[in-house]
Amino acid sequence: MGNEVTVRSDVASKLRGETRYVADIHLPGELYGGVVRSPHAHARIVKVDVEKARAIPGVQAVLTADDVPGGAYGPTQFKDWNILAKDRVLFVGDEVVAVAATSEAALRAALAAVEVTYELLPAVLQPEEALAPGAPVVHDEQPDNRPMHVQLERGDVDAAFAKAHIIRGGRYTTNRIYQGHLEPIGVLANWSEEEGLTIWAPSHIPYRARETYAAAFGLPEDKVRIVVPPIGGSFGAKYVLKAHVIAAALAMAAKQPVRMVFDRYEDMLTAHPRVPLTIDIRIAADAEGRFLGKDVVVWGDAGARVYWSPNVMATACTRPDSLYHFGAVRAEGHLCYTNHSPTTCMRGFGNAEMLFAVESVIDEIADGLGIDPVEIRLRNIVRRGEVTIHGYQLDSCELEACLRQAAELSGWARRQALPPNRGLGVALGNHVSGYRGIDSRFEGSTAVARLRDDGRVEIETGEIDLGQGMSATYAAIAARVLEISVDSVIVKSGDTARYPFGIGTLASRSTVMGGNAVKLAAEQLRQQLTVFAQGEYGADVELIGGVVQSGGAAHSLAEVAARYRSRYAGDTLEVRASYRPETDFPGKDFYGNPSPAYPFAAHVAEVEVDPETGRVRVVGYWAVHDAGVVLNRTAAIGQVVGGVAQGIGWATMEDLVVAEGQVKNLSLLDYRMPGASDIPPVSVSFVEVPDPHGPFGAKSVGEVAIDPAPAAVANAIANAIGARGRHLPLSPERVWRLLHAEEEQR
Amino acid sequence: MREVAGSERRSPAGDGQGPKANATGPWAEHLGPGATVIRFEINGAPQSVCAPPTRRLVDILREDLDLTGTKVGCDIGRCGACTVLMDGQPVNACLVMAYQAAGASVLTIEGLASAREGTEAVAGSLWLHPIQRAFLDAGGFQCGYCTPGMILASKALLDEHPQPTEEQVREALAGNLCRCTGYAGVWRAIELAAAWMGRSAP
Repeated sequence: MGNEVTVRSDVASKLRGETRYVADIHLPGELYGGVVRSPHAHARIVKVDVEKARAIPGVQAVLTADDVPGGAYGPTQFKDWNILAKDRVLFVGDEVVAVAATSEAALRAALAAVEVTYELLPAVLQPEEALAPGAPVVHDEQPDNRPMHVQLERGDVDAAFAKAHIIRGGRYTTNRIYQGHLEPIGVLANWSEEEGLTIWAPSHIPYRARETYAAAFGLPEDKVRIVVPPIGGSFGAKYVLKAHVIAAALAMAAKQPVRMVFDRYEDMLTAHPRVPLTIDIRIAADAEGRFLGKDVVVWGDAGARVYWSPNVMATACTRPDSLYHFGAVRAEGHLCYTNHSPTTCMRGFGNAEMLFAVESVIDEIADGLGIDPVEIRLRNIVRRGEVTIHGYQLDSCELEACLRQAAELSGWARRQALPPNRGLGVALGNHVSGYRGIDSRFEGSTAVARLRDDGRVEIETGEIDLGQGMSATYAAIAARVLEISVDSVIVKSGDTARYPFGIGTLASRSTVMGGNAVKLAAEQLRQQLTVFAQGEYGADVELIGGVVQSGGAAHSLAEVAARYRSRYAGDTLEVRASYRPETDFPGKDFYGNPSPAYPFAAHVAEVEVDPETGRVRVVGYWAVHDAGVVLNRTAAIGQVVGGVAQGIGWATMEDLVVAEGQVKNLSLLDYRMPGASDIPPVSVSFVEVPDPHGPFGAKSVGEVAIDPAPAAVANAIANAIGARGRHLPLSPERVWRLLHAEEEQR
Repeated sequence: MREVAGSERRSPAGDGQGPKANATGPWAEHLGPGATVIRFEINGAPQSVCAPPTRRLVDILREDLDLTGTKVGCDIGRCGACTVLMDGQPVNACLVMAYQAAGASVLTIEGLASAREGTEAVAGSLWLHPIQRAFLDAGGFQCGYCTPGMILASKALLDEHPQPTEEQVREALAGNLCRCTGYAGVWRAIELAAAWMGRSAP
């Protein structure tokens, strides 16, 4: 299992409907797993009665907190997870009882037969309220409800604001975005005394999943195996999940495989959406529009447990400071527990959120000074060779070229003469290509390269393809090093028991981290293959076009592989290489160079606003990216357009509405995501200058694709209607109210 | 082989479905009450299943016939991941009940590569329909989960409008969500397939 396929045939299987996602995989004797969840945002569990459920024919396991290990664990350094709720439930959807049964009907009957008595407790539902004295405490271990508090100042911010010619800012809020993966969350788990746990979990950080689940059950890591089936979309949703843990607990109890596949309702009810942020921001500039200082205070709603919200908060507080020269910067970040479903990361990871605020304020400064928005950005952006205020070392940066090209392609000059209710907006973005702070212990990636008996080359990696084209990119890298056809390279990943360790596909790390490891491994394989062939055929061997040439004779790689086996007792020629970047761990002061390479982008959006309804249509979009040298053009364009489409949805229509802790729009009809008619043709271009640290000069593109998008759309709307929307999404109602000068609702 | 005319399949359950076989015995619990034999054609071959008349077509395809290329995304007919062609028309298989499919000819993604329009080889022994090939070349998919439905929606479009207008493409894709591609690759794939199939048309 795992993604064990040739690069070409794995994509062909997707087109032929042959790809087996987790819901398509079955094990003999598998049971249906399900969960009884809290209907309350915050309550004391008075009594759990499972006797009736246990008596239902076909029910093989019913678990309460008393039946599972009770130790706290978690995927980050914040250990606040349980397996099942013991004394209190902390959010609507919190897991109280787990059931496994031989049929779906028996499962449903058992779930309905569980009786839980609750005593309601006051809930805390807003981050700022969570910090107020006397607020309900979500976790006793964290009485201030604030698991993370960022305080950061570089330069003298007060002095910078004191000498400012202009200051603009205000309160901006970003919304609760559902990742919108088309494949609902699902898992299949099995247990045996000999093998331990095997979990078929669509997770793109399976090694962190293994570590977390081993800790949950007190097992050594080699007793937990994560097999990663093809993933039907994640965008941040499928990291490390309680559903996996609960399915595993049921499989251990029932001693039978357990499958648990959510329907869309349960997927949305238990969703861990984008961390909603409240941002108070001020930016100061001089009379020429040069920035002097930036000051932000951010409140983040972590929900009731920590997933990746601290990383999102840290990114929001720092990342845009390496896009512009702000002079002096100050950030205070309050990450707050609330009685909401835990929030986590989505593509863009805090940076896109903060850029929405930053880019909006920059446009307000430009307006205030009568400077063109493109021009004011040109006066303040970072450039190649610089070290930014937080220590990012920009060894490649074509941001200026991106911005100039985006202005040119979009016909920015016509902004002065647009018809009424039309607007053009520009926004910039930056990101990382792997982030040293994701794991405090190490960074990098390992790849294995192997010459197969059939003469093809097999690459193993610990990183995960989500459909973004990682495997094809790795195949292209290995093929280029070995001078063989890309179809002769097979990329394997997605099984913690078989493939090298990988930190996983997050922080836009796969191209640079995994790609560099693949390049190193392929280079070493080529070198060892050459040395071996010299011994076999003579000193003049050359590897050209997939064959070994020597003295006028050509030897296929299959022949070389066979010779190697005969010389080495049947063994296979294989090498293993690790890429270890020279980056800095961003400690408490968030200073250092955390990534080998930084991608950049400039986006321009054109919108048309219907003044009668407030509905916004994005009618044009231009995205110019510095992703270094592009290794897989079709995939890179797909990443950019996909990111832009998600950004358009985010900015104009998407919002997971929560009232009293309960999500109100629990279906894909009520939570509206962009359809084909919502996305205009997107012009995508690349400014290709090699980065010295990326494989063949490549940098990342996955997340920087969405970073500027909400801001570009928001700036275009402001340009169209002459009023600034500060709260996402800029829904028809909000835009209509702005147009009609009423108080913007929040 | 069609046992029942297409026009009859929308008549009430039990009409035109051949011999009724109310399930009893050990299978009754699995099949549910009132299970009957339902005959239809799947990917060109006759097929009969024993199912309650209200069993969803998507469950029949995925669970009874192991045709898992048809995906479940939203369960309410919005996302289009379960799109199949029923008598040539795109339907959400999560909204079609067994009795409605009785007598129909259903095309799923598994049947597309062997459909009659002509095939093209890629990846060694794997064969693709020109629309599938166009999705490959144009970057019309990433994670692949919406892809079978998207491809079948595209087939229905191109069957009806071999050279579709922009408006017709927009309309045809209105029922299919994709979270990965932003639709640009899907759009290009349809244009490409239209060009290829237009060239090879008699």
